[in-house]
Amino acid sequence: MREFLTRLRFFFSRARHGALDEEFQFHLEQATQANVVAGMTPEEARRQARIAFGGIERAREETYAQRPGWWMETVLQDVRYALRGFRRNPLFTITVIATLALGIGATTAVFSVVGPILFRSLPYPHADRLVSVGLVHALQREPFMLGGFYYNWKDNQKPFEALTSQAYGTKECDLTQGNPAQLSCIGVEANFLPALGIAPLIGRDFLPEENRPNGPHVAIISYQLWVSHFNRDPGILNRLVEMDDKPVRVVGVLPQDFELPNLEPVNVLLPGEWDEAAQRKANIGGVPMQAFARLKPGVSIEQARSQLEPLFLSTLSFAPPLMRKQIFLSVRSMRDFQMHDVHLMAWVLLGAVLAVLLIACANIASLFLARGAARERELAVRSVLGASRARLIRQTLTEAFLLALAGAIAGCALAEILLHVFIAIAPDGIVFLSKARLDLRIILFTAFLSLFCAVLFGLVPSLQKPRAAALAARSKNSGAHAAVRQGLVVSQIAISMILLSGAMLLLRSFWNLQEQNLGMQTRHVLTATVSLSRRYATGQKQMQFYQQAELALRRLPGIAAVGLSDSLPPGGWENGDSSGLTAIAGEPRPTDGASGPIEWRWVTPDYFQALDIPIIRGKNFTEEQRNSNGHFMILSKLLASRMFPRKNAIGKSIKPRPDDPWYVVVGVADNVKNSGLASQDKPEYYRLRRNFVADWDPNSWGLHSVIILETALPPAAIAPWVRSQIIHIDPTALVDITPLNQQLNKLAARPRFETMLLGFFAFTGLLMAIIGLYGVISFVATQRTQEIGVRMALGASRFNILRLILWEGVRLIALGGVVGLVAALALSRVLKSLLFSISPYDPVSFIEVALLLTLVALMATLIPARSAMNVDPVVALRHE
Amino acid sequence: MPPSTDLLQGTLDLLILKTLALEPMHGWGVALRIQQISKDVLQIGQGSLYPALHRLEYKGWIQSDWGSSENNRRAKFYSLTRTGRKQLQAELQTWERLSTAIALVLEASTS
Repeated sequence: MREFLTRLRFFFSRARHGALDEEFQFHLEQATQANVVAGMTPEEARRQARIAFGGIERAREETYAQRPGWWMETVLQDVRYALRGFRRNPLFTITVIATLALGIGATTAVFSVVGPILFRSLPYPHADRLVSVGLVHALQREPFMLGGFYYNWKDNQKPFEALTSQAYGTKECDLTQGNPAQLSCIGVEANFLPALGIAPLIGRDFLPEENRPNGPHVAIISYQLWVSHFNRDPGILNRLVEMDDKPVRVVGVLPQDFELPNLEPVNVLLPGEWDEAAQRKANIGGVPMQAFARLKPGVSIEQARSQLEPLFLSTLSFAPPLMRKQIFLSVRSMRDFQMHDVHLMAWVLLGAVLAVLLIACANIASLFLARGAARERELAVRSVLGASRARLIRQTLTEAFLLALAGAIAGCALAEILLHVFIAIAPDGIVFLSKARLDLRIILFTAFLSLFCAVLFGLVPSLQKPRAAALAARSKNSGAHAAVRQGLVVSQIAISMILLSGAMLLLRSFWNLQEQNLGMQTRHVLTATVSLSRRYATGQKQMQFYQQAELALRRLPGIAAVGLSDSLPPGGWENGDSSGLTAIAGEPRPTDGASGPIEWRWVTPDYFQALDIPIIRGKNFTEEQRNSNGHFMILSKLLASRMFPRKNAIGKSIKPRPDDPWYVVVGVADNVKNSGLASQDKPEYYRLRRNFVADWDPNSWGLHSVIILETALPPAAIAPWVRSQIIHIDPTALVDITPLNQQLNKLAARPRFETMLLGFFAFTGLLMAIIGLYGVISFVATQRTQEIGVRMALGASRFNILRLILWEGVRLIALGGVVGLVAALALSRVLKSLLFSISPYDPVSFIEVALLLTLVALMATLIPARSAMNVDPVVALRHE
Repeated sequence: MPPSTDLLQGTLDLLILKTLALEPMHGWGVALRIQQISKDVLQIGQGSLYPALHRLEYKGWIQSDWGSSENNRRAKFYSLTRTGRKQLQAELQTWERLSTAIALVLEASTS
């Protein structure tokens, strides 16, 4: 402590040059005197004293170096020196900082989004053994479970240590006591928490006897609810709380980081209360639920799946034959289950951003190498003037560190901006995105990586023993650096080639998606999606409402057609009918073409006019048919050709489902995109929705219908009129009015997002690679100024010189381009499932990218080559 | 001039402290005293004497005051502080332990 204080005192007291000199002077005088006494002449005595003393300057320096603050002083000195150097060379400084900022910023932003998706540790012990078990429907991705299957599997399964289930989705429930709140509750099986490996923070788990119908009302509440409503009171246990006006006994509190496997927010766990006996009898179906399991140690997911397969098949045999083909067994890791198909895109993004980071590092390395080479002489001079090797190294480190710091700060700012942009433009359904925060660890990691690049390549010149040649005024810079830099540029070009081809493939795929023929018009179409309240629970009321609405809307000026439907293409998955058509009049059994998933909609005659879907055979529905006793349908071209190949479909009678009446086919409509933008078209048929209650099913989609309006007026002008007309009929109706093409845009949001991101990274990478290339070529050009002068003096034309320098660039571009192209072709397979109607080896994309890259790279070479060409040979030679 | 012997690292500090323990002294005096006592075996180069003196001062083991020398010349006199005295004791003990140990090893290897 005392020592520290002394150090502090000396640190603040300024160096006293005079005092030290006086001390030395005194010493010299004493020595001289001693020599005189010993019998020397005063002259000789002084000389001998000086010799004995040695270098005064060195003694002074070393004495100063003993000062406690000396280290700090030299660091400050280094910093000042570095800053001066930066100011002298702003281009270098700005390029380095910008490269660092881009590299650090982009990596951090992307990793902050992608990191939790890919690398988040799940809040369950041994989460690697947790799986989601269930059935998937061919048309859906989300696995589900049905009570009938579940209990059967539970009795007979072998691969799992535990199998458990939760209700399919949370439900709303109200805390009706004290400070009322709307909560989300979910029913779970009694072994739910133990199977996930979670114990309540306080209190106990559900007991098996609580897990049956009409069991005692008990609940386990979330930590957040405990804090917000019960003040963290441990006395909450066994207290009765009123929920949905019923007393419920709280038996436990969940740990703070608890989350449901499907990531739904939840406040209260309730016992599932499934009637096990009844479920076992429900031979197909039963309550929908979601099942999760913990694998026995050493059992892989594939093993579990194969062990479960026979069980799945045996339970499946109870199901009706048509259903059997539609559902599959699904065993997926918990992480896969949570992240759906975002996974692949996340990896692609991560790869892209790492590539950008690599390019950035190569750039920094290359810049520092160039600077090091240019400063070789300066370092040699300093070294001769007495700077130690360590001091020179420290100088380089200081510079690298300062730049990395500046770059990291700029990078953080950029990352924050990018993250906001991502969140703003991202489509729905990317998990955790809204909660994404800048990941400090990644900032540190990327900053450290950049620092490493800078230090590694910045140190090379200061590590070398300064060559005597470097002191000679006109030194050639060593060729070794140049080779390394050229290697770096080649790899940069290769990497940006990969990035660019990926981006180009996505871009062209997105283009295809946007430009594809949907089979209907999307401009001039306004859709009004109406949701009616529960008061319209009968078909009669619904029919009346929509009849009134249709009538009112028809009276509006500027509206050419008013169609009604229960759903809109290219969506339609809500209404997908997987079981095919039941019967065709005159055929013993439905043809093959009538099975499989078939889309269908309720429509009115104006539907086809409003969407401009051509009726290619037969006729459209008529207004008269809406009031007639017959049932009428129109088939899509695809369905008609499948069901009645080489036969006329018009006039046939079809019974779509067992309890339906016979429908008469009146026409065949052209195909329309009907299962999302990117999927194959499905066969489809349209039923005419007549003005009869029988056609208005109170249970299904009547509450949510779409009114399709064809209008030449701008949507913004007509929307308020439409809204006011509908509100006029029923003020409680919810209306969502959107132009159809806007809805389509929303469907394309995901591929647009992916394309934009990858495009952004490809562009960034290209930019940096080009900067690197430019740097290397202009460096080579300046280095060879003298040579160029000699060549010109000996008669080389300007064109020869241009070719000479261009050749340097072309070599690098060609090599990097070829390497990149090969790598890109090898890697593009990964993108396959993200691409729409384009092959991952699409030659056009690759040719375009190669051309683009070559062109831009040539430009970057041309600039320094041109300035080399314009060198005045006289000036170049005088340079010597 | 007799050949100078390289001093063991840290030994110089000990010698300076020991010399200053007798009386406050200026740099020249310290060098002279060490040379005289060691019968000209130990010659301290000024290049290492002054850095050492200053290092010890920064550590707080010695302190310096300006006074006048024997021939009435202004000179910087160094003297031991209290911590310096303690440090000297500690270093002396370490040195004794070390030299005894070395002596033991040397004797063992010759016999």
